[in-house]
Amino acid sequence: MNDRIAVQADWENREFISHISLNIRRLFDFLIQFESTTKSKLSSLNLKLDTLERRLQLLELQVSTATANPSLFTSTTTTSA
Amino acid sequence: MAVPVEEAIAALSTFSLEDEQAEVQGAGVLVSSERGATNSPIEYGDVSAYRLSLSEDTKALNQLNALIQEGKEMASVLYTYRSCVKALPQLPESMKHSQADLYLETYQVLDMEMSRLREIQRWQASAASKLAADMQRFSRPERRINGPTITHLWSMLKLLDVLVQLDHLKNAKASIPNDFSWYKRTFTQVSVQWQDIDSMREELDDLQSDDMVNINCIVTQLLQIFLSTRWAILLNLHVEMFRVNNVEDILQVLIVFAVESLELDFALLFPERHILLRVLPVLVVLATSSEKDSESLYKRVKINRLINIFKNDPVIPAFPDLHLSPAAILKELSIYFQRFSAQTPLVCVIFKALTYRTYQRHYLIINHIGTIRAEHDDFTIRFASSLNQLLLLKSIDGADVDWCKEVKGNMYDMVVEGFQLLSRWTARIWEQCAWKFSRPCKEAIPSESNGSAESLFDYEKVVRYNYSAEERKALVELVSYIKSVGSLMHRCDTLVVDALWETIHAEVQDFVQNTLATMLRTTFRKKKDQSRILSDMRTLSADWMANTSKPESDLQSHGGDESKGNFFYPRPVAPTATQVHCLQFLIYEVVSGGNHRKPGGLFGNSGSEIPVSDLKQLESFFYKLGFFLHILDYSATVATLTDLGFLWFREFYLESSRVIQFPIECSLPWMLVDHVLESQNAGLLESVLMPFDIYNDSAQQALAALRQRFLYDEIEAEVDHCFDLFVSKLSEIIFTFYKSWAASELLDPSFLFALDNGEKYYVQPMRFTALFKMTRVKLLGRNIDLRSLISERMNKVFRDNIEFLFDRFESQDLCAVVELEKLLEILKHAHGLLSKDLSIDSFSLILNEMQENLSLVSFSSRLATQIWSEMQSDFLPNFVLCNTTQRFVRSSRVPLVPVQKPSVPHAKANFYCGTQELNSAHQSFARLHSGFFGIPHMFSVVRLLGSRSLPWLIRALLDHISNKVTTLEPMTTGLQAALPKSIGLLPFDDGVTGCMRVVKENLNWGTKLELKAKVLRGIKEIGSVLYWMGLLDIVLREVDTMHFMQTAPWLGLFPGADGQILHTQDGGDSPVVNLFKSATAAIVSNPGCPNPTSFYTMSKQAEAADLLYKANMNAGSVLEYALAFTSAALDKYCNKWSAAPKTGFIDITTSKDFYRIYSGLQIGHLEDSVQVSSNNFEILGDSVAWGGCTIIYLLGQQMHFELFDFSYQVLNVAEVEAGLLSQSHKNPHVAQGWETLLEAMKKARRLNNHVFSMLKARCPLEDKIACAIKQSGAPLHRIKFENTVSAFETLPQKGA
Repeated sequence: MNDRIAVQADWENREFISHISLNIRRLFDFLIQFESTTKSKLSSLNLKLDTLERRLQLLELQVSTATANPSLFTSTTTTSA
Repeated sequence: MAVPVEEAIAALSTFSLEDEQAEVQGAGVLVSSERGATNSPIEYGDVSAYRLSLSEDTKALNQLNALIQEGKEMASVLYTYRSCVKALPQLPESMKHSQADLYLETYQVLDMEMSRLREIQRWQASAASKLAADMQRFSRPERRINGPTITHLWSMLKLLDVLVQLDHLKNAKASIPNDFSWYKRTFTQVSVQWQDIDSMREELDDLQSDDMVNINCIVTQLLQIFLSTRWAILLNLHVEMFRVNNVEDILQVLIVFAVESLELDFALLFPERHILLRVLPVLVVLATSSEKDSESLYKRVKINRLINIFKNDPVIPAFPDLHLSPAAILKELSIYFQRFSAQTPLVCVIFKALTYRTYQRHYLIINHIGTIRAEHDDFTIRFASSLNQLLLLKSIDGADVDWCKEVKGNMYDMVVEGFQLLSRWTARIWEQCAWKFSRPCKEAIPSESNGSAESLFDYEKVVRYNYSAEERKALVELVSYIKSVGSLMHRCDTLVVDALWETIHAEVQDFVQNTLATMLRTTFRKKKDQSRILSDMRTLSADWMANTSKPESDLQSHGGDESKGNFFYPRPVAPTATQVHCLQFLIYEVVSGGNHRKPGGLFGNSGSEIPVSDLKQLESFFYKLGFFLHILDYSATVATLTDLGFLWFREFYLESSRVIQFPIECSLPWMLVDHVLESQNAGLLESVLMPFDIYNDSAQQALAALRQRFLYDEIEAEVDHCFDLFVSKLSEIIFTFYKSWAASELLDPSFLFALDNGEKYYVQPMRFTALFKMTRVKLLGRNIDLRSLISERMNKVFRDNIEFLFDRFESQDLCAVVELEKLLEILKHAHGLLSKDLSIDSFSLILNEMQENLSLVSFSSRLATQIWSEMQSDFLPNFVLCNTTQRFVRSSRVPLVPVQKPSVPHAKANFYCGTQELNSAHQSFARLHSGFFGIPHMFSVVRLLGSRSLPWLIRALLDHISNKVTTLEPMTTGLQAALPKSIGLLPFDDGVTGCMRVVKENLNWGTKLELKAKVLRGIKEIGSVLYWMGLLDIVLREVDTMHFMQTAPWLGLFPGADGQILHTQDGGDSPVVNLFKSATAAIVSNPGCPNPTSFYTMSKQAEAADLLYKANMNAGSVLEYALAFTSAALDKYCNKWSAAPKTGFIDITTSKDFYRIYSGLQIGHLEDSVQVSSNNFEILGDSVAWGGCTIIYLLGQQMHFELFDFSYQVLNVAEVEAGLLSQSHKNPHVAQGWETLLEAMKKARRLNNHVFSMLKARCPLEDKIACAIKQSGAPLHRIKFENTVSAFETLPQKGA
């Protein structure tokens, strides 16, 4: 009879243990998933930033060529007008 | 606890975890892969708590398990052993004196390795003796201790398997005896040295070191015997076992157990199945080799059952690239075990049974892939649906208990089915591999690239050339099924695990509380022993939580309600490994009655008193228990079942081929990737990343199971290489696909419709979208952003392609501009199609970059420069105009100006249109335009250069005109000087012949032939440029009109009756501005509008657009502009070419004006063209007329020219002559041979008239002529025209 009570208690203890361990695993699962999805979101963002950066570089280059020759613009406006 | 755990975990689900990446890879992350159930985490330390007197058994069990663990490590040492001798350096002659040092060094290195081998030798001896002792202890007939338990039996089998594998490996590895013999050689050398050194030392020491050397010798001898004897381990085991003659019992029990498990095949996953298959032949040999009792085995197990098993699996995988064959083992061992070979017909029977074809059908996956596919599809659907049910259940509070149980039971069934499927599939791959290793491809395949067939490695024969394309396809498919089902199951691990626990709990409780209770009341009522065992089972595992009111005593005392059974609350807790272990043991005890020698099988029931139905229940629960363990170790089981890492390992073949590593073409994973890429199979494409999981698995194995750093390094190196190759190949395929798609879309549909074989231009659709979304490819623990890699390469390849097209254009002439435009258009379309799926740089940006005109102030571009230089160096000198067809064609004469061009660059088909077929289709279109320059080319030029570079080109051409005029001036002066003082009107007297004579006498330019030709060419170039401008004007008009039609409705413009542009509303806003304004007003007035500023911006931009478009509306005529410019350029030479007559009246005879020069040139040119057999026209064409007439017209000499031109005069004379002679009905010119010349003159006159009329229309000079008479009555020649060259400064300079 003692065995029986002990086994019963064991079942109940283990229920608690499994409960906790399962939830810890769920937590870890969540963390892993969170990490991976966040990573892919970040990489999408990175891609967009890269594109923007290249665009910006281009624009800066164009502006710099334009400011280097201001005369060109003033003269065109007068003649075309 | 402040926050309940479940609430906290549930709160996590509020985070958004959606991910656009498709699941096209296997599960890469394993949170927990430790085994809690199949291996007891506490080494069955809790068995004693159940008081089953199993402590002896548990002790033995743990000992065996430790041995198994060690044995596996030994096996991995042996498997990964690589020969050291091969790496030994050879001493050059000059260093022979230090040979001894080399020996010493070699000895030290080899000694390390040999000590490992010695350790293996020692270990196997101890393991064999321990195993034998264990068997002996547990097989005494008068057993005093409980056991062996089922788990114990398994451990024995596993240890036996490890020993067999070790033995097999030792036999197969040739490098080990090699290394050993080298070791022995160095050892003798070194020990001689030692003696030399030691003799100088004290005697005591000397003695000791002698001893040491002797002992070393003995150990080495033993090792040599161990290494050189085949099956040394088994022989040793045999000796150990039969030292005391009573292990037959336990061997028979093991055989029966193995045979029954194999025959039932329910609870076995493939690793266990393979263990049993490997061990069984050895067990049979051992059991039948003893002195007595050899026949008793066949009494318990019919020999046919054994033969069946051996026949069904003639080839068993042992190591990744080593297989075992039971028949071969039996045959080989029969030499060593005389009694076995004498007794058994087994060997010959098996050898007879082998038929190659049946096995081929059985082993090759290709014959099963249809079934597998169906299984996969069916399973994934059902698995997903039961998963959905489970999720639904979790979201509902207080669901019906029965339904709850059903859903969870369903889930449990699906998991069991999934495991069995995975196990079957993975086993298929293992077995196919083993089969392929045992059957290398026979026919030597002539390898196209590297040498002859005999240089093939063995490994190439068994792997590289041993898988047909179909087989590779099937393998890729199967690998992706395994990996995808694996990751599907792995992902829902924590989701389903409590349902699984609950179901298992319910099953166990149902068995112990209901089934056993029933049995206790009926079958076992009278049997004291057995009913004690049954109640033990109840005690150790029953969970009476819900039934406290019903203690066991009640149950036993009154018969109770057996009909409905007990109800118990679900509890999501699984039984422990020990509980399962004990339950299995107890069931076994009940069934066997504690007697292992019972004839028949475990549940064979012959002679037992238990009724069949009870036996069935016990049996099914017994095997279920075995499977529970796998399910409890959910993630570890999934990992084992989906582990395909073995496909990479090839240690055995590496050794036999004597190379360091095979090229990647021999590597199965890469072969699969390559196959997917090469086959261009749209269905397989999304599985292309699956084979990389094989690398992940094998790297994991190298690190965790084999524990060899160098293997991991090799795998890593291969993966790096393969992945680079993969990305470049994939990008190539992607680019080719989009290019061909674009090219086939741009083919003329009516052309395709008319074609009979139009389908060859149709591009098979492929889907790359899943791959384009891969931002995390899991590779050896790294995350690789495949998308960015691909887009990087795409950005580069588009640039390369444009570069190539420009290079190609630069190596061709101007006529290729149509082709260039077409190819660029295809590229642009391909870019458009691709950028829908993948974000890459915009096409205009790439094009501008490659055109080298990113700068805002640069108006030239690579293309414009090229067109200009092409015109200057090739087009203007070498092309002739045909006025009728409006085309320029290349003069058939030898080019006057030799043109140096780079050779046409070569490129792959995908730099043109994609595929060969599409290339030829588009090329045949391009060829239509390759022979001339006309309107279509001008359209291409306009479209390619655009409004940005076109003005630059125009400016360059105009400058060219003005330069030409300047160079013409001195030459003309030269011609003027050579004219006679006065040339009168041609006399009518002698007819045409007389006229021509007079002309020749007067135009005495004989010494100036060279100069004449030069002037003509100069005039021709001016004419060509002007005509070119005319073409440009036509094209620009059309483009502008189109543009106007598109923008006019938005700008509120409409064309008036007289070509004027009228505004619909004066002073008011144009429709586009109105539209945006009112829309903005409407939106902003809406209170729900979140952000009105953007709409204001839009409205402002509409106004800006309105302004810009209106400003561009009145584009002038390029031709008129060019004529005005030419006129201005001519003004400088006005006084030279058009001298004002001194008399103030028309100067007839002495005039040396330009018209006179041109007149002379023209008649000479016409004469040449009819006299010379090869047509002179082909050098100059119609543009001379254009150039000459334009200059004459702009100088205001048109009337003079028409009056005094020599050929016109000749024509007049001819007309008169003809009029005179027509009365006498004969044609004088035929006789005199003037007919052709007169025709040419008429033609020239027509052409000149055409040019003059065009000029009058486009560049009227009336106002100038009107003021050409002074008030005094004297004519005023050529008033100063307002146009100066400086007025054209608005066009960009050539240098800009």
